[in-house]
Amino acid sequence: MIQPDNSSAIITVKKLHKCYWVGSMPFPALNGVNLSIDRGEFAVLAGRSGSGKSTLLNVIGALESADNGEVIVNGENILGMNHTERTLFRLHNIGFVFQSFNLIRVLSARENIAYVCQLQGMDKKESEGIADHWLNEVDMGHLGYRRPDQLSGGQQQRVAVARALATNPKIVLADEPTANLDTQTGQRLMCLLQQLNDKFGTTFLISSHDPDVKNAARRLIKLADGQVVRKWEKIPPAPPPISKACPIKNLPLAGRIRQFLRKKRKRPSKTGEKGPTPRRS
Amino acid sequence: MIKPVIYAVALRNLLGHLRRTMLTVGAIAVGLSALIFLWSFNDGLHRNMLQNFQDAIIGSIQIHHEGFFERPELSRHLRNPDKIITTVEQAGVKRWSRRLEAFALAASDETTEGVMLIGMEADREPVITDLGKRISIGRFLREDDEYACILGATTARNLKLGLGDPVVMIGYDRFGALVAEEFTLVGIITSGEMGLDRGMALTNIKSLQEMLDMPDGVTDIVLRTPEDRIQQLTDELIFALSDENVEVMPWSTMFPVMHEWIILHDGFLYLFLAVVLFIVLAGELNTMLLSMLERTREFGIFMAIGTERYEIGLMLVFEALFIGLAGTLLGIVFGTGIVLVTHSTGIDLSILLGSTSRFYVDSLVYPHLNLDHLGTTVGAILIASIIAGLYPAWKASRLQPVEAMRNV
Repeated sequence: MIQPDNSSAIITVKKLHKCYWVGSMPFPALNGVNLSIDRGEFAVLAGRSGSGKSTLLNVIGALESADNGEVIVNGENILGMNHTERTLFRLHNIGFVFQSFNLIRVLSARENIAYVCQLQGMDKKESEGIADHWLNEVDMGHLGYRRPDQLSGGQQQRVAVARALATNPKIVLADEPTANLDTQTGQRLMCLLQQLNDKFGTTFLISSHDPDVKNAARRLIKLADGQVVRKWEKIPPAPPPISKACPIKNLPLAGRIRQFLRKKRKRPSKTGEKGPTPRRS
Repeated sequence: MIKPVIYAVALRNLLGHLRRTMLTVGAIAVGLSALIFLWSFNDGLHRNMLQNFQDAIIGSIQIHHEGFFERPELSRHLRNPDKIITTVEQAGVKRWSRRLEAFALAASDETTEGVMLIGMEADREPVITDLGKRISIGRFLREDDEYACILGATTARNLKLGLGDPVVMIGYDRFGALVAEEFTLVGIITSGEMGLDRGMALTNIKSLQEMLDMPDGVTDIVLRTPEDRIQQLTDELIFALSDENVEVMPWSTMFPVMHEWIILHDGFLYLFLAVVLFIVLAGELNTMLLSMLERTREFGIFMAIGTERYEIGLMLVFEALFIGLAGTLLGIVFGTGIVLVTHSTGIDLSILLGSTSRFYVDSLVYPHLNLDHLGTTVGAILIASIIAGLYPAWKASRLQPVEAMRNV
């Protein structure tokens, strides 16, 4: 049962522990994570491989259980739920965007989106209307009848984003959404996610170690060894004017400067001098 | 309530792997059509066998005086045959005939041979049996024949008799007195069946009644009725004739060996059905398991985006059911097609088996589609299909989304 929560935090994680076991060897993945994400935030979980980003995202997304701690998502303690309750919770509250797109290969782009709507109980016609709407939102309206294997990686990820948003979820969790995309497509995708965050106020929590994604973050949370080691807000969430034509325009100011500097470094100067070394964030 | 999208996705999964689906559907269709043909061939064979068996001499049902079948003595003749015939006609049976049977010694100038002398109504007998068609030399009995007789080919050969030769029948009347009459041989039966070719002599019932001094004497009333009505009619007649001290016996009671042989033969086919079902089950289970393993990741995605466990299970059961239905439909079309063609052309067994008349089987067998057997076979295949989907469905529904999505 979903209980409306009037507090500003839509995700609250307290002292979260999760350990994987390989035979008798424990591998701690989350080691007392404390975290709070507000409604409408556009936050990025950063960290190296094995830092616990995906596990944290999976636990918050009710895909995995945890050993200890508390995870309150949209007012519900999801660790106390059984398998079916978790499934229904995911269906009604959470949209997922995965690294490898994870579209259903036997369904067209439109059907992939309509499927989740029909799971929510909508009839075919209504769900197809919603699918068409979201396909247009992600600029894929003209390719709705193609199956995933007939789409490029970027196009598939756009469909995945549309599918994640079609059920009007409270939160979208994206696990390494740009990892399988080239830089430009990744940037476009991040622009799209930002636009959707601005337009619909959906909370986005993205895990990534892609610098472009981190640049796009309005709030960055860094994980190391299963713990939050740093978190800061970069830019106030006031949305800049959106333009689809130039992806860089959609990035926050710091990211735009960094991108500009990177481009300048790549372009060799006539005198053979090296460009300035970009600073790591 | 099951969401329609689950059926739709199941169907789409099958169409998405069309080659594998078609192979499984084809395997089921081949198995089913083979079963339909074999059942139909078997049923056609049994029909032909029973038809010939009843046509030969025995009929479908016989009514005798109580105990006559065990000890065929003339003292056990029917006391009130006309009333019995009225009852038989009231039961809707039009094909009946009276007979008088007695043991006799057939004597020629050369030798003698024991025979069952059967007096028949020459005008009514052709509606009961096809003895007339089995005459190889001479002719069948006529209503106006007096002391004419027909012998089996072996008996005639043993007695060294030819057409027109006199043959003396010596027997006992119902009081035990010795009686004898001279008959004229008018026909010889060559059937290939031991019981007809040797040890049987046929004559007009009136001649035999005169010889045995039993005017209007009748020992048997023989009826013909379709096979599926025999048991019901027997029960009706037993009830209607309960005051008459008679025994109403269907052919299966008089000759249980034939009945048991048919049951045994059907049993073999049930065994074959079980083997085919096992093959269908194993084949489809293999396909479904393979499909499940290949799509483990996809099931993880389905679960992650909100598909419940039971819906995943149902999806696989529906897939199995769709495969079963398609295979069954195709199998019915192929199977009945083969049966219809062979039903019109017949299957010549003489090429394989030589003479089959000893088993009351014609050399040309016409397969016959029995709806009961068709229903059993189709039902069994469909149930096997659903069972084949249950285990993979259960396995898929137990998957954990994250682990499943890690599967490559």
